[in-house]
Amino acid sequence: MNKPSGPDWNALLVKVGSHQDKAAFGALFSHFGPLLKGFLLKGGGVEPEQAEELVQETMIKVWRKAPSYAPTQAAASTWMYTIARNTRIDWLRKHAKKNHQTDELVAEDLFDENEESSPFTALIQTRNASNIKEHLNSLPQEQLQVLTLMYFQGKSGQEVADELAIPLGTVKSRVRLALQKLKLKLSPEGEEQVVYAS
Amino acid sequence: MINNHPNTQLLTDYATGGLSMAPLISITTHLQFCDQCREAVSGLNILGGELLADCDEAELSDDLLAQTLAMLDAPMAPSAGVEVANEAPKSSLCPDLANQLPKYLHKFLNHQELEWRSLSSTLSVAAISVGEADYELALHRIDAGGKAPVHDHKGTELTVVLKGSFSDEDGIYREGDFLMREPGDIHRPSATQDQACICLSVLSAPIKLTGIKQVLNPFMRFNPS
Repeated sequence: MNKPSGPDWNALLVKVGSHQDKAAFGALFSHFGPLLKGFLLKGGGVEPEQAEELVQETMIKVWRKAPSYAPTQAAASTWMYTIARNTRIDWLRKHAKKNHQTDELVAEDLFDENEESSPFTALIQTRNASNIKEHLNSLPQEQLQVLTLMYFQGKSGQEVADELAIPLGTVKSRVRLALQKLKLKLSPEGEEQVVYAS
Repeated sequence: MINNHPNTQLLTDYATGGLSMAPLISITTHLQFCDQCREAVSGLNILGGELLADCDEAELSDDLLAQTLAMLDAPMAPSAGVEVANEAPKSSLCPDLANQLPKYLHKFLNHQELEWRSLSSTLSVAAISVGEADYELALHRIDAGGKAPVHDHKGTELTVVLKGSFSDEDGIYREGDFLMREPGDIHRPSATQDQACICLSVLSAPIKLTGIKQVLNPFMRFNPS
């Protein structure tokens, strides 16, 4: 969101981190809580009650991690997104109960600690965000569908390809085209790693 | 300079939370070395944030905020992340490696004892358990000048060079380089002469040797975790 007219969510998050400000936390909760629940429900696979449990877990992590939040490195929405994503991963793993051996490993440990902060400063972050806002709604439906399935469900391209019964190559090219339209940086690797075929 | 990167799809899978633990670890490991890919991931996370901000709201139960506020003051159970990150690497663990690998890897290597097994005079492997049935995660070490056996891939293999460098028919790979091998790719990696090469690798299925030394197939030697 972060519309000029709305509250400054980044600043509220800083207040939570620096002053354990519960009023600021309440405001963030009231704004992001319903968005997070909507996000999780859109992905499917969780009941409304479970979605609320996840919202709660996410927001408690937000409270605890807020002191490390740096508005110059990530917008509140981006930061919330990564925490919610990691919370869902852990929740899904816990419920899959495949293996208990490494339960002490949590998603937070496995992701890059600094992933939300690229070394390329706030300027690029802001430009990225405004490019996304500007072009997201004009993406062709099929590209938007693939992206939203991946993000809302926390799925890989392969899983989305299976779900839509289309080839992985089609998913890959839709993702790539969408990211290009949103003017996001792609992997320096280029489209395919065919160089290794021998 | 890093010349080999995960492709855009893998980075997107990473950012959406679509990767399981072992491939996830390999991407994060690459990111420790690679500013370009971190920039790409940063953009993908911003996209996640925008999709969140743009999402239809779903009403929360009336008392959820009050409940949550009440929980904020509960004594904080230290999360595994915080606890482990502050621990120094145990000296008994991968003794010669502890100071050479990215700090990030210590977090989960500290959870277990690494057991190096010699597979040939120049190649050793240490399996890492992350509690996943579908993938095998391991460290491989090729001694200076050593060669790994020629092998084929039945499944996808992801490799990140952690230390030193190795080469095969297609090129030379240095610290931070990320490689994806698909079924049918046959290669024979060998370390450069000056130092040992250590790689993190993820295998989606056991690979087979193409030569006659079946018994040496390094990846048959440990059990899927």
